[in-house]
Amino acid sequence: MSSPTARPATAAGPVAGAGAGREAGARPASGRRFGSRPPGGRSAAPRARRHLPSTPWLFAAPGLVIVCAFVLYPFVSTLVDSFTDRRALVAGHWVGLANFTEMLHDDAFWIGLRNSALYMVVVVPALVVLPLLLALLVHKKIPGIGFFRSAFYTPVVASIVVVGLIWVWMLDDRGLINSVLEAVGIGKVGFLSDQWLLLLSAMFVTVWKGLGYYMIIYLSALANVPRELHEAASVDGAGAFRRFLTVTVPAVRSTMVLVGALSSVAAFKVFSEVYVMAGPKGGPAGEDTTLVMLVERTGTGLTGRVGYASAISVVVFVITLGLMLLVLRADRKEDA
Amino acid sequence: MRFSSRVPQRAAFAAAAVAVLLPLSACGGSGGSGGSSASGSGKIDGSITFQTWNLKTGYKSYFNNLIADFEKKYPGTHVKWVDQPADNYADKLSADASGGTLPDVVNVSPDLGAPLAKAGLALDLDSDPAAAKYKKEYLPGAWQSSQVPGLKGTYAFPWYLNTGPMFYNKALFKKAGLDPNKPPLTYEQLFSDALTMAKKSGGKVATLANVPTIEDFGRYGVKIMNSKGDGFTFNEPKGVKLLSEYVKLYKAHALDPQALTATPDSAGQKFLTQAVAMNPGSALDLGHFKTQAPSLYKNIGITPQITSTGKVNMYVMGLMVNANTKQKATSIAFAHYVTDAKNQLTFAKKAAIFPSTAGTLDDPYFTKEDGTDTARVRVAAAKSLKTAVNYTPVVFSDQMKTELGNEVAKALQGKESPQAALDAAVKSCDQLLKQS
Repeated sequence: MSSPTARPATAAGPVAGAGAGREAGARPASGRRFGSRPPGGRSAAPRARRHLPSTPWLFAAPGLVIVCAFVLYPFVSTLVDSFTDRRALVAGHWVGLANFTEMLHDDAFWIGLRNSALYMVVVVPALVVLPLLLALLVHKKIPGIGFFRSAFYTPVVASIVVVGLIWVWMLDDRGLINSVLEAVGIGKVGFLSDQWLLLLSAMFVTVWKGLGYYMIIYLSALANVPRELHEAASVDGAGAFRRFLTVTVPAVRSTMVLVGALSSVAAFKVFSEVYVMAGPKGGPAGEDTTLVMLVERTGTGLTGRVGYASAISVVVFVITLGLMLLVLRADRKEDA
Repeated sequence: MRFSSRVPQRAAFAAAAVAVLLPLSACGGSGGSGGSSASGSGKIDGSITFQTWNLKTGYKSYFNNLIADFEKKYPGTHVKWVDQPADNYADKLSADASGGTLPDVVNVSPDLGAPLAKAGLALDLDSDPAAAKYKKEYLPGAWQSSQVPGLKGTYAFPWYLNTGPMFYNKALFKKAGLDPNKPPLTYEQLFSDALTMAKKSGGKVATLANVPTIEDFGRYGVKIMNSKGDGFTFNEPKGVKLLSEYVKLYKAHALDPQALTATPDSAGQKFLTQAVAMNPGSALDLGHFKTQAPSLYKNIGITPQITSTGKVNMYVMGLMVNANTKQKATSIAFAHYVTDAKNQLTFAKKAAIFPSTAGTLDDPYFTKEDGTDTARVRVAAAKSLKTAVNYTPVVFSDQMKTELGNEVAKALQGKESPQAALDAAVKSCDQLLKQS
């Protein structure tokens, strides 16, 4: 409501102007007159009362209360705590940047940062490319394709704890996979005892479980790719691979950016898969601990260091925010 | 789109004020003041809340009857019973303590009770005459189990004790050429037998599925803490020797390769599937073996805990009275009622636990065998409890356990020498102790 002409002389505020202004013959900024109204002042007065300045705030109030209580307050509280030495049962004192400087010398923090970053580097490309290929496979309208779509989506709705435990049983020294490897002469592989294999196994489970979710996003994007483009490319002699690169990929590029952003944030904040597969200690000697696991381990329990855990949380937040901004910026550059 | 110039400014100011002030109020909300000063000798009436730790599933009727009997004995009282799941109990206590909603009577182990006592949230039983008069009813060791280094007093009524035997697989012992009727009793015998088992099975059968914990250090005879209780000492030569022996076991596959990430559950699963030859347990496990692994059950051997000190490890559970309870007399009376000799004996007969009251372990239930394996385990465990020790210091927090576990794992993997690993663990634990 940027036009001052829409502001009524007597009405209670600019929001009311939407109605009162129209009564006075004013036009909205777009210049298009809204629906006709019966003439006369009788109907205008109650209408103006219904559009008090506080009306939008009243509508927004339930949402605002929820956001303030469950998003804003915990966020600000975490931010404040990160500058204190607060513990689970002891009120904290202001310690300035002490928690952040301690982090620089904390091996556990660097291990967590390394693992979270590695997780992102490996998982994100897989989750950007593989679901697209899967979506292309199930995009075709052939009999029975619904079954495959459902099958690929099933891991998404399964509990991560259940999924993790199933993979733990399969990857165990005496599990299905090692039995097969032993039978074919390769011998046992320490999927759950080697620090790197354990992390890779957790990454595999994340990718396996996430494929269906991102596949659905790609399917909706593929549905919007004009068929004529493919037909024109075919007429011009482009093969399937070339059509994929020159038609499909550019058409779903913004979806790929979205998937990249979503999966990178999720991968950097990974917790459940590693916790279930590597155990609460975070793998052998805690070498598979991720940053979020470190927050959980440091800040919980009766002796939890809430202040220090909050400081790690703030670092995780800053990094994930940075990742999102980077992805958005890269997308804008491409658009330009 | 702007709504108005005045309202948003006010709203923004209010929101900013709320955002800044609420966290500040939260900062000041925790921490105990030392509890109320009223004596617990008042009238026993009113409502209290009693919290247990994962006991409702198996013992609902026992506790309902217990509470009904208490309410009948003390008319005008009402006990609300809440039970918390096994997982994340410490987090639940932490949230309740921070929020000022800690129940009046709380089931705690010594390591959970210690931080609450330090925060002034646990009633000192020794300094309250109404509670202190019951001291003589309990085993001295059990009463002392809730004393915290650096604090005067006792912070929980001793409740049930637990200890368990080592189970071993006789068939695997026999296959390795070991005498199935002579299982190891000391750590030296254990190391020797484990290396033999690994050698004879070509590294396919490990003897143990767990890395050494603080209890193992205690049972090996390592001094865990200094006499003042303000520093850890498990990096002494005996501790290094223990860890060095475990390094040999790990290299020889006498310790399961997945031991570094094992949990009690996963280790139990390894024993069930006969991938490892020995595992600690309790009388309850016999039933599991019988139903879940009948072939293992046929070959099960039962032997006392491995110890080189002659004293086995025991776990202690207690009932803490909230220092800030508004019904102190009723809370003390109820905590004592639940833990008195009669009720502990009744509970022990329903669950595989042992009473902490003086003389109760002399009951025939704990001294006479009836020919069953369960009774044999019970009688042997009750006998060992008379000299048992809780080797885990009350100040040894979960974070400290993680630090020790991580350093032990580094030594087992050969990334650090046992001495360096234990030095690092002691340094981290000392630092955590200072911060607690």
